[in-house]
This record gives sequence, C-alpha cells and structure tokens, in this order.
Amino acid sequence: VSVTVMSGPGVHDPVSASDALAARLEELQLTLGEGPCVEAFAFDSPMLIPDLETTVARWSGFVPAAVSAGARAMFALPLHSGAIRLGVLALYRVLPGSLAPEELADVLVFADLALQLLLDAPSGLTGQPGYHPMDGVSTGRVQVYQASGMISVQLAVSIDEAFVCLRANAFAAGRPLGEVAHDVVARRLRFTRDPGKG
Amino acid sequence: VATTINERLAQTFVDLADTLVANFDLMEFLHTLTEQCVQLLDADAAGLLLADGRGALRLVAASTDKVQVIELFQLQSDEGPCPDCYRTGQIVRIGDLRSAEAISRWPGFAAAAAETGFGGVHAIPMRLREQIIGTLNLFHPVGAGPDPMTARVARSLVDVATIGLLQELALRHQEILTEQLQTALNSRVIIEQAKGILAERYGLDPEQAFTVLRNYARNHNHPLTQLARDVITGTVRITIVHGDGTASPAG
Repeated sequence: VSVTVMSGPGVHDPVSASDALAARLEELQLTLGEGPCVEAFAFDSPMLIPDLETTVARWSGFVPAAVSAGARAMFALPLHSGAIRLGVLALYRVLPGSLAPEELADVLVFADLALQLLLDAPSGLTGQPGYHPMDGVSTGRVQVYQASGMISVQLAVSIDEAFVCLRANAFAAGRPLGEVAHDVVARRLRFTRDPGKG
Repeated sequence: VATTINERLAQTFVDLADTLVANFDLMEFLHTLTEQCVQLLDADAAGLLLADGRGALRLVAASTDKVQVIELFQLQSDEGPCPDCYRTGQIVRIGDLRSAEAISRWPGFAAAAAETGFGGVHAIPMRLREQIIGTLNLFHPVGAGPDPMTARVARSLVDVATIGLLQELALRHQEILTEQLQTALNSRVIIEQAKGILAERYGLDPEQAFTVLRNYARNHNHPLTQLARDVITGTVRITIVHGDGTASPAG
C-alpha cells in the first residue's frame, strides 16, 4: 500500500508520492484525465476499486496502463469537509483485494489528517508548538460547519479559510473547537478582519 | 374529516416516490422521510443516524433541530437508546425517559433527555442484509410510543430510507455502500456550511436558514445539496422576500 496526495480543483498538483508506481498512477490520470482519483474528486465520493481489471470499460485508457505498470487495486478518497475540497488521497495494491473494515477506517482517518494538514499549513498553524492536526476533526458537531459558514460571511472569505480561522481561534484560545463554534452560532463571538493584516 | 392511516401511508409513499424520480437528492429525501415519520406516526420528532466508515454514528437528517441536542449527546457519550439500537440491531423502546429503568440504564442520557422535553423514544435499526447501517429514532410524548400497527409502518419507512440511501436495489459490493455512506455524510456537512452562511447573512437561526434553503430548492427545482454548494461558492444568491413584499438585500 502506498499513498499519493494531490491538491487543487482542475489543477492536479502532486503533493507527495510514496514511490515510483504511486507517482506513475497519478501522472497517468493527469495525462488521460480519467481514473479513480479524477472521479473521487469530481463526484465527491470515495472510489474503492478492489480489482482494477473489472473497470476497463469505465476507464479504458487508464486501467490497461495502470495494470501494466503493476497496480491491481486502487482506493481513492476525496480530501473534503463539506464544500471544502482539497484533493485526493490514493492508495494502490499490487494484488487485487478489498480493504478490510479496519483498514478502511484507518484510511479514512489518514484522509482527515491529510485534509487538516493541507488546510492548516498555509496559515503557519502547523508550525505552532502544541499543534495537533486532529483537534476537533470529525466531531460530527454541526455547529462547527455552521460556524464556518457564518465566519465566511463575517470575514468575506472562502469556506476553506473560514474553517482555518475557526480552528486557529480555538487553538490560540486553548478551547475545544466545538465550544468556540457554539459561541459563533449563538452569536456570542464574531470574527472581524485584523486591521493590521492584508 | 379524519383520514385512515392507509390513506396517509399511501400519500407518504407518493411523496417519497416523487423525490425519487427527477433530480434525486438524498438529503431532501431523508429530510422528507423524517418529516413524514412525524406526521404519519404521531411522533414529536424523528432523527436518522448513519454509521460512518469508522463505525461511529452521525446524525444525517432530523425533523427539527431540537433532535440534534439529544442525538449529539448520545453520539458523544456513546450512551443512550440509539447507540444501543445500533450495537444490538434490535428495536429499543423506552416509554418514559424519566423512568427509573431509563435512569439506571443510561444515567447521563436520561438527565440530558429531561431537559429537551421529549418523553420517550422508539429506535429502529436500519438493516441491510446482515449489516446495521444506522438507526431511525422516533421521539414521542411519555407513554405514547407507537402501537404494533404503527411500529410496523415505522419499520417499512426505515426500509424505504435504506433503499433511498442505496439508490439501487441490488447492492453488489461493500465498496458501493461505503461510497454512498461517505457521500451522504459529506452532503450533510455541505448543508450545514450553507446554513451558516444564510444564518449570518440574514440574521436567521440555523433551522430558519434550512427552511429558506429548502424552499428555494423546491421552488426552483434545484437539488438541495447542489444548491447548498452553490450558496457556498456564491454561484447562487438567495433573496428573502418578506411578507410585505420587500426583499432582503442579497448579502
């Protein structure tokens, strides 16, 4: 199993590939414009393909090339949180076979982790001492998502940036993310533009 | 004129079938289903939970935001009738959440439930072959849980929810189930983000924001999840028309 991360809508900018075959599979999809990663990103849905050869009809260019390069199974997971979409995490296997439920659970956690790191890195949050990328992730708390939407209006920024601002605020204040989000939804906390910046 | 339960049931399936044909949107379908459960089964509220790929339950649709409080408590503490229903695959019914039985079984949950005002709960597992994929939870006044006939109707509504979720009757692979569940859970996040945007823009609470979003989707024949995405990206601007005919400025 190996890992590849891509980012950017339309622009597939390879972030990391764990080996030559992973890089090759990504390059093939980029060149051909088709494959599990392309669809995972476009349809916002995981693409779990335990046997690539059963999907020749679907991706007639990609599958034969991928199989001759040595891949027999592929699992592509969108790096998303609602409308925030940053890329795809892809894994391959050299033999056909499904992911076991516990492997799938691990992969989903890795996808969350990759999403947070990609989101938080540009703001410099990842370099802060005590930073933990999984803080507040997958809490299932709807207020976190509602608060992100509210902050995006308050600051006139994208939903991606709003989510980072919310997380940065919770991190700086040393408070749980859900608690800060709750304050935003209850209108006890508003985000304003820092006049010293941008 | 009081209609029979059969007539109301028939109407429910017609309404649900309507949402299944053109422009199918899973979130719209599941929300409609929870609302129909309330009307048809004389419940106070209904909530639908689905298991994510990590085996944790998440709230996907609810007839009212009030359900969120009590469901989230159960999901976070992993204690209560809904987690029990999911774990055992059996119906969990509790007529009075303030009873000694409820308190000894779920001490934390019983205390939290007392604050929400719901009297009792009837939790039904969503079953697909051998696997439990979620639960439908009906909240009702004290001692007013569904009678056997109504409970059977509730079970069929749960089966309808499972079918809507899968969108195809013949489930071929575990992979497809996982893909559908993950997509459904993410759609829910998109809708919450859009609710936040509308709530902030128009000074609404999240529940009112959802009503605005949903009415716009229906009136413009726009799939709900796609509309939520369009609101977030700014592709669609929803303008609220007040009773006096004036319109709120968009943003």
